[in-house]
Amino acid sequence: MENRLLINLIPGDTFLHRLTGKTKVRTFIILLVYIIMSFDIRLIMPLFILSIIGLVSLRPNWKKVKYFIIVITVVNLLNIVLFWLADPDIGSYWCGGGNTVLVSLTERLFLSAETLWYLSVRFIKMITSFMVSLVFILSITPSEMAAGLYSIKVPYKICTIFSIAFRYIPDIARDYNNIKVSLQTRGVELDPKKASLKSRLKQNALILVPLIITSFERVGNISNAMDLRGYGRGKTRTYYSEHEELKADKVFKAIYIILLLFCAYWIITQNIMPQDFRMWYPFV
Amino acid sequence: MSTPIVEFKNFGFRYKTQTSPTLHDINLTIHRGEKVLILGPSGSGKSTLANCINGLNPFSYDGVITGSCKVAGMETKNASIFALSKVVGTVLQDSDAQFVGLSVGEDIAFALENQGIPRKEMLPMVDQAARIVGMEDFLLHVPYDLSGGQKQKVALAGVMHGDVELLIFDEPLASLDPRMGMTAVELIDRIHRVQNKTILIIEHRLEDVLHRHVDRIVLMNEGRIVYDGEPDRLLASDLLTRHGIREPLYIMAMKYAGCELEPGQKLSDIHELDLSPFEEKLKKQHLAKVDKYVPKIGEEILKVENVTFAYGKDPVLKDVSFTIKRGEKVAFVGKNGAGKSTMAKLICGIERPREGRIMLNGADYTSLSIKEIAEKVGYVMQNPNQMLVKDMIKDEVELAMLLRGRSRKEIDEAVKKALKMCGLWPMRNWPVSAVSYGQKKRVTIASILVLQPDIIILDEPTAGQDFRHYTEIMEFLDELNREYGITIVFITHDMHLAIQYTDRAVVFAEGEVVADDSVYKVLSDDQVINRANLKQTSLYTLAMRLGIEPEAYIEHFINYERMVRDHGKPAAD
Repeated sequence: MENRLLINLIPGDTFLHRLTGKTKVRTFIILLVYIIMSFDIRLIMPLFILSIIGLVSLRPNWKKVKYFIIVITVVNLLNIVLFWLADPDIGSYWCGGGNTVLVSLTERLFLSAETLWYLSVRFIKMITSFMVSLVFILSITPSEMAAGLYSIKVPYKICTIFSIAFRYIPDIARDYNNIKVSLQTRGVELDPKKASLKSRLKQNALILVPLIITSFERVGNISNAMDLRGYGRGKTRTYYSEHEELKADKVFKAIYIILLLFCAYWIITQNIMPQDFRMWYPFV
Repeated sequence: MSTPIVEFKNFGFRYKTQTSPTLHDINLTIHRGEKVLILGPSGSGKSTLANCINGLNPFSYDGVITGSCKVAGMETKNASIFALSKVVGTVLQDSDAQFVGLSVGEDIAFALENQGIPRKEMLPMVDQAARIVGMEDFLLHVPYDLSGGQKQKVALAGVMHGDVELLIFDEPLASLDPRMGMTAVELIDRIHRVQNKTILIIEHRLEDVLHRHVDRIVLMNEGRIVYDGEPDRLLASDLLTRHGIREPLYIMAMKYAGCELEPGQKLSDIHELDLSPFEEKLKKQHLAKVDKYVPKIGEEILKVENVTFAYGKDPVLKDVSFTIKRGEKVAFVGKNGAGKSTMAKLICGIERPREGRIMLNGADYTSLSIKEIAEKVGYVMQNPNQMLVKDMIKDEVELAMLLRGRSRKEIDEAVKKALKMCGLWPMRNWPVSAVSYGQKKRVTIASILVLQPDIIILDEPTAGQDFRHYTEIMEFLDELNREYGITIVFITHDMHLAIQYTDRAVVFAEGEVVADDSVYKVLSDDQVINRANLKQTSLYTLAMRLGIEPEAYIEHFINYERMVRDHGKPAAD
């Protein structure tokens, strides 16, 4: 059942897997800031390459990962095509006013070198943020995620939601299947060939009633089990899944602190102070 | 043994949501190192009593306490659920929901995490707890790979850290197969002896708990303690049947034989009990004439032929063949994962066989849709709440007909018949939410019967029910079978049920049918019992000790029991 999910429940044994949740969460957040803050290919490209190396190093189940990569790539390609259709001249604003037309389809639809540059950077930026997220998701377990969030001062009751949700999603999916089957035997038709979308939606709603009732029963039991083991007793808690920092964690810590300082410097000098926003364009 | 760990004095408890108290006049002392069984039918207040000790009452379920309850010197109403959890460990009934960690190690560590214990100190504690319950090799396993018994062991390991002195087990046997239940009782006993913990077991399955010695039994009914003392005296009395608890089978057999049971005898232990005073009577009873029960069985209705099935690569069912005749009552037994539920799904068309055929009335029906098959084979799930979707009983029952687009007249007739069969006709306009669990079960059965299937399959129809509700449900099903000739298949772990209410057992183990015979034959076959995780009944032990052929003895007992039941003699009540 849990194999259908992309995430791991038990930590893997590659270099990135072995980092602590704290390191993973902090690195991930800083890298997101790093990606978002600029449109500069000199900053984005190295991270893009690193994220590919990271993904390969995790030895993921390519069959499952492939699907996500294809979908995200297609969606982003579509996104930049729409950007181009909306304003073919968008690159000239970002690249300092130039307008080197490469191909001209009609009066309005043309492709300039500046726009091509801008859209390519935009595309790589989107893909990089997806790749970094993918590496993060594949490297972390929900419990490490909870521990990591807790390490950045998120209240532990919120952190728990992450681990608990992943714990019980497969159970709820199993309940859903049971209920679905019992309704199918009573005549609910969920086969797309035999029933219209509208009637299938209506009949799917029938499943919700027992699903909600059984889920409430379960929530009651879960909260009792947690109360009885002292959950919510203290202001702080520790995590079994969060092992001691290893050498690699210390190296990562140094890296993300430097990166954080760099991001702060960049945001102040490049994003807050300047009046006009221009991206780095080598062919001015 | 002398210092008390739990002391109730004139204690009462009323839930805020209820108008009258659930517990009255409780005076009970439990000493350190004792092993106590709290016995009682559903609604007797036994779980409420336990929840007053661990602090769920009144801290999670609001309520009013009268009198006093002291746990390890703390007055519970002034303590907190957290303070109590340091002394009291509770293993809840639902072994799945209480598994809150994503791995065995994490779940065992949960209480330690909440105490903020550094991970370095936590690891050896988790290891130690895991070793006590024998789960040390499973620390990195996810809950989805564990059996019910294993999850229960993890739950136990998770609540016995540090200074926990008292362990409460809330219906520990409810969801386990017979062998696992036996293992659980043995484990609890070992923890009592080796770890020196005080043990409180809440159960209504007396015979299974008595597999190991208990020091004391507290019998509850209607919120009061009606008996508090040694097990032997309770077994000799008629309190059990009076308060809706099933007597152990060997005690029933001895009472049928007219044996005079005295508290001084070791009645709670079938192996130690001195049989010499009873031997003559028991042997005479075995010769007593009984009507040999002959079920009304018709022609062959279902035939399963060389069926093989797999979800992935590993086959769940391997070359399974058996037949069921019209009017039969058949039990599918075997441990979890042995393939009995999968077989039921194949019969209902929820899954399709990879190889082999399933035939109904001589015709292969595997090409029909689930919906069409459901008109011939009905499937009743274990938890009625997973089946009920409508507000009113009548609407629930007519749903299957409505979805098939039958005419109003046809629907009304079928619904009326199904409701009358299930004794629900007077309640047809009641809301489903207003009826008891047993009645909900009836509603689900009626909603299946409305299609007039030839066979109905029931998954654990009595799971979690006390003896009175159990009897009510089973008598009702027996009547359906007797009066209307409906063929019934039970999927069950309950050997009592199989013995008392079925004609035949199909025993599954590792995807194969290892036995297909009358229940008493199955239960006297050591090899089958071992392969299928079953457990010998106490009747087997009793027969062996008397030097009677166990198979014949169990058969005689069943027939006698059935005769008493059918002729309405006051035996069980």
